[in-house]
Amino acid sequence: MIKLEEVTKVYKGNVTALRRASADIGKGEFVFLVGPSGSGKSTFIRLLNREETADEGRIFVAGKDISQLNSWKVPYLRRNIGCIFQDFKLLPKKTVAENVAFALEVIGRPNHVIQKQVPAILELVGLSDKMGRFPDELSGGEQQRVSIARAFVNRPLIMLADEPTGNLDPATSVGIMRLLDRINRTGTTVVMATHDRGIVDTMRRRVIELEDGNIVRDQAQGVYE
Amino acid sequence: MKVRYLLRETGANLWRNISLTIAAVFAVGVSLTLFGTARMFSDGVENATKRWEGGIEFVVWMNPDATPEQDAAIRETLQTSPQIKESKYVDQDAAYIEFQELFADTPELLDAVLPEDLPPSYRVVPTNPDALVVEELGSRFEERAGVRDVVFATDTIQEIQSTFNRVSFWFLAGSLVLLVVALLLILNTIIMAINGRRREIEVMKLVGASNWYVRLPFMLEGLLQGLLGAALAVGGAMAIRRAVIDKFASSEKIRLFEGFTISDGQFYSVATLLIAIGVGIAVLGSGVAVSRHLDV
Repeated sequence: MIKLEEVTKVYKGNVTALRRASADIGKGEFVFLVGPSGSGKSTFIRLLNREETADEGRIFVAGKDISQLNSWKVPYLRRNIGCIFQDFKLLPKKTVAENVAFALEVIGRPNHVIQKQVPAILELVGLSDKMGRFPDELSGGEQQRVSIARAFVNRPLIMLADEPTGNLDPATSVGIMRLLDRINRTGTTVVMATHDRGIVDTMRRRVIELEDGNIVRDQAQGVYE
Repeated sequence: MKVRYLLRETGANLWRNISLTIAAVFAVGVSLTLFGTARMFSDGVENATKRWEGGIEFVVWMNPDATPEQDAAIRETLQTSPQIKESKYVDQDAAYIEFQELFADTPELLDAVLPEDLPPSYRVVPTNPDALVVEELGSRFEERAGVRDVVFATDTIQEIQSTFNRVSFWFLAGSLVLLVVALLLILNTIIMAINGRRREIEVMKLVGASNWYVRLPFMLEGLLQGLLGAALAVGGAMAIRRAVIDKFASSEKIRLFEGFTISDGQFYSVATLLIAIGVGIAVLGSGVAVSRHLDV
């Protein structure tokens, strides 16, 4: 599903974020990216949905070489990739339901589809009773559920998660991880960058460790370190 | 893409920056009004002085019923005189065509006048354009048989021409400056709109909205500003045509302004030009804003 071949990314000022990184992630896998801040985890994720482009090497997503992708095709790549973040990125002036519906609206889904899918996905993430609330009326965990609903409502092949539990307390984090695990079991490939040792050690999934832009460990059913 | 979405987003953007939007629309409007006025003036001057183009200093009008012999005698003199560089004969049909162009807006006049009502004429370019020489030369024809009248291009006509050219020049210069201001205002309005919606744009890109879906509301916002400004300018030009140019043309006192008029056709082409320029700077302004500040 995802394949990196000798990928190098250098930022301005000669900061190497990723150095000759290679990895092969199969369909339906759940992968943790671990490593200290600045080790290249976020760059890894941003390269996969073409928020960044690689300076060297090739990246394949769903069989396509995305380093060669025309910029007008990038949106279509992103429709197959759901993204969640530490800061949720919800729109404060839209309700929970509107935030989720927005993701379908802007890719041109018809109204009747939106009206059917939004309540269904909010039910899945356990927020059926809060559809009309605004983000600032929700707890952090609930906000992250909304953002997961928005990322998943389009049934993407891949979920990218950049520190999704970074702002949440441990108990809430467990709930979010259960949700991501459920999404993974529908066949969605999940790639999650995290600092959360407890989560990694409990879930026992594949772990890719980065250090100074190098992949230093790639271990099935791994632990944090 | 849904039309309703497009209109809603564009409307919301315009409303959010209402003061800048108004400034942009007025800048476009005023600059294009100046531009249009300059164009109308030069059209008017051209119409008024059509007869005097190419160094023609006087016109010998023949009687419509002059005999061929009288006509031949005049022609002979014009062709053989060393003081005359060249002369051009305008027959009744050619005069009628010119008349039609000049009074295209007054069909009642066109209906009343037939080619045979218009006198044929000789337009004369003397070798020496000095006013006294021309006067002396032209007056020699006044007494000849078959000649109805001799009309001179006086210095005043040339003065009108240069006055209007000067006025047009300053109008054009002013409109150009304002056009740049308008362009910058449109650019800024759109950049403000983009910045005001950073978060939404980020989310749109994240979930895979196509590039045009993100860009189009902003482009449309600029286009609307340009079009509104152009509409204002067309209105302004219309008012100036009524209040100034038509007054000149119908003025009894200043006979020199006779023929200083513009046809509807000329006005429409000025209006089309104004709309085209309005759309042009709008597309340029919003295009630059979108391509520089909306990396997709």
